[in-house]
Amino acid sequence: MSASMIVLPVALPVLTALIALLGGRPKTWRRWLVGISATIQLGVALALATGAYEMPPQVLGLGGWAAPYGIVLVVDLLAGIMLVLSSITALGALLFGFAELPVKVENPLRLPLVQFLVAGINLAFCTGDLFNLFVAFEVMLIASYALLTLEADDWDIKQAFPYLAMNLVGSTLFLVAAGLAYGLFGSLNFAQIAERSTEMAGTPQLTVFALLLLFVFGMKAGLFPLFYWLPNSYPILPNPLAALYAGMLTKVGVYVLLRMFGQVLPPDMPLLHTIMAWLAAATMILGVLGAVSRNFIRSILSFHILSQIGYMVLAIGLFTPYAIAAAIFYVMHHIIVKSTLFMVGGTVSALNHTDDLGKTGRLWLLTPVLGVVFLFQALSLAGLPPLSGFWGKYMIIVEGVRQSEWVLVACALLAGILTLFSMLKIWNGAFWAPKAHEGVYLEDSRWKPMTAVAGGMTMLSIMIGFGAEFFMRISHEAARQLLDRTAYIQYLLGGGN
Amino acid sequence: MMWETAILIGLLFGAACYLILQASFVRILFGFILLSNAANIFLLAMSGSPHGKSSPIVGKGHGPMVDPLPQALILTAIVIGFGVIAYLVILLYRTFLDQRTANACELFEPEAKRSERELS
Repeated sequence: MSASMIVLPVALPVLTALIALLGGRPKTWRRWLVGISATIQLGVALALATGAYEMPPQVLGLGGWAAPYGIVLVVDLLAGIMLVLSSITALGALLFGFAELPVKVENPLRLPLVQFLVAGINLAFCTGDLFNLFVAFEVMLIASYALLTLEADDWDIKQAFPYLAMNLVGSTLFLVAAGLAYGLFGSLNFAQIAERSTEMAGTPQLTVFALLLLFVFGMKAGLFPLFYWLPNSYPILPNPLAALYAGMLTKVGVYVLLRMFGQVLPPDMPLLHTIMAWLAAATMILGVLGAVSRNFIRSILSFHILSQIGYMVLAIGLFTPYAIAAAIFYVMHHIIVKSTLFMVGGTVSALNHTDDLGKTGRLWLLTPVLGVVFLFQALSLAGLPPLSGFWGKYMIIVEGVRQSEWVLVACALLAGILTLFSMLKIWNGAFWAPKAHEGVYLEDSRWKPMTAVAGGMTMLSIMIGFGAEFFMRISHEAARQLLDRTAYIQYLLGGGN
Repeated sequence: MMWETAILIGLLFGAACYLILQASFVRILFGFILLSNAANIFLLAMSGSPHGKSSPIVGKGHGPMVDPLPQALILTAIVIGFGVIAYLVILLYRTFLDQRTANACELFEPEAKRSERELS
């Protein structure tokens, strides 16, 4: 496999977006184009991920410039896994969107913008350079701002303002962090920062830099106390986009935290890791309490994103190879489950014409398949064995017990129970309630393909649950590669393959 | 030189934070413009003092040159910042048209309270 393949996960979506943009008004061929392109992207991502297993990271110097001078794209197993997940989520969300809306009603800008968003996400996973990461984040964020307001109505659009304001502050501080990195280490390349930061371990400058990174990416991931932009802005998105955002955007923040704290910054920063673990615990509890207090399906699910982010960041904060592997496993499980739940929420609101739990109902009687899909994913999110969520939580709690962090373990368990409680709330409101406010619109046959897409995603999630051993092996290997800093530095600075 | 730059950056960040925390849309907008400029100047400061150095042009400069990398970074950051600020202007304008207010506090107050105020 040649290293130049690494450019494909970024180049393909950009190319597709441009062609679709030139295509003008929404037509059926555009859907085929984007759908086929998304399938090819999935294939490329799978090839990259399998190629990275037990292999040194693949490095590509853009424009023929080798590592310390040029911008490099790097794919190791973690980046490969994230690429696969982003392609799966993007493909699922696209198919769900095709099922939800007829071609003619679709906004002509939606498909190109989704492809730009995917390009930004993929670039963030592949890049080996801090400033390039900033650019990737901006590509992703600008596409996300546009999608957020593209189809929002006059009343909802104000929710985009806090989202934009928070992310503007975050981006500016990211820029400052990049400048600081250049000032401190004389380089923006991850490998060179890793090499030079080892010598600086324990200095106040490095701590400030790390805190700045924690602030910026903690905000993007939705970590306490900077998560208020998320639960209000996600519910205004159209359903398929909400599934994509919920699956991927915050997880890009988690990925960068993993990459930065696991690989680029020196491992002996106990203060930072403790701060991270406690912020994560607060996020878990407050997120799930927010979910319990809400009465709209998509608001509940948005708050759950936060509490689940808490588990992943807690695992990073515990900071042992086992905990990092747990975080990676959790990310795999969470992305699939979360976007499926948003799809189920979208289908429910298509059937009931609302996602207000006071007005929905009767779905278990009329559409049992949707109920089964929801049940699998909701129980998986809550962490019931043998579904995928159980294994992720199990690994994190085992590591917490090993380190005798009893309070953190208690928070994680409590958040799990409350998750189950709020999932049952959706179950009672939407599926078991004897009467729906406006009746159930079964004649609107869109729900069948929508349920089919959600069902397909559920299959994947069940696969992760029952094939947990295989996925854990992958997570452990990815964590090993991530924490093996010397090999990373050597391959990156060794002159690009 | 270093101290003056540091104080300038500090002042810009402070003023930007103050403006962003105001309720008026226009002040928030100016706050964000200042914020991105403060970050850009911070990046520029990372290339060190320009005293006694020539501009980084191949074949033109003599002796030590200024580090060109931060300048390249700023160029990228300015372009991105410009785009996002343009988007912010449009978003605020659209919000102003839809909600008939240019005040961030009124934007998020409960509906009942709002109609009460409009009646009085």
